[in-house]
Amino acid sequence: MSLASTASTYITRRAAQKERVRLLYRRCLKDALSWAIHRRLFWEDASKMRDAFEANRNVDDIDRIDKLIEATEARLTRFGHPDPYVVPWAPQGSKFARNPPVPEVEIVFDYGLEKY
Amino acid sequence: MQFMRAIVLNHMRIKLGTEYQLLPKHGRILLPAMKKRFSQEASAQSSPENFSFLKERVMELVKKFDKIDSNKVTETADFQKDLCLDSLDRVELVMAFEQEFSIEIPDEKADKINSCADAIRYIASQPKYNVQGSS
Repeated sequence: MSLASTASTYITRRAAQKERVRLLYRRCLKDALSWAIHRRLFWEDASKMRDAFEANRNVDDIDRIDKLIEATEARLTRFGHPDPYVVPWAPQGSKFARNPPVPEVEIVFDYGLEKY
Repeated sequence: MQFMRAIVLNHMRIKLGTEYQLLPKHGRILLPAMKKRFSQEASAQSSPENFSFLKERVMELVKKFDKIDSNKVTETADFQKDLCLDSLDRVELVMAFEQEFSIEIPDEKADKINSCADAIRYIASQPKYNVQGSS
């Protein structure tokens, strides 16, 4: 029973770690994109980032994985871009909510014959 | 004097469109022309052809991704299970979607994009590519 429960906690913890790594990788890539002034430079950074992640692909020790993730997250919050790039049309982008579509215009011509 | 006034007014009078003349006695009317004029940008992008175009663009992009076998790509193929990507590749692919369509996908939504169909659905829901509103 205890073995099964430890196995299940192990599995859930691994799943949580996997999700965290995915998010972390995404955030790292976005950060690299904010720092890079050109896509060409970003691709180099991205492949370096990928190599850094790949280097720890086969780490089995669950506590060590946690430590690695925390270290990278700390580094990202410390050295992350202060003013990250946002797509202009997205929320917080420079073009967000400019010229929104006009709401449906409905004009009622009752000429004093309203029934209400 | 009256005559002159009538002539001048005849020329100056603002012509009303047919919408006004064909107006029902007491009914509701929506002015489509007016709406179109003000939201030309929005209406230009919302059409059913645009949706298939979007689909094509997504599929092209997925086929171009270098770790994917382009013959296996279908609309519902799961990136990880069917197309043999790992989770980090999937993140990269979602970044590629963001770049191609210049949209911002929030992290939690990006994590749920598992197939071309998901990506198409998400992109179509964006106001920039809003094709849902046309139907």
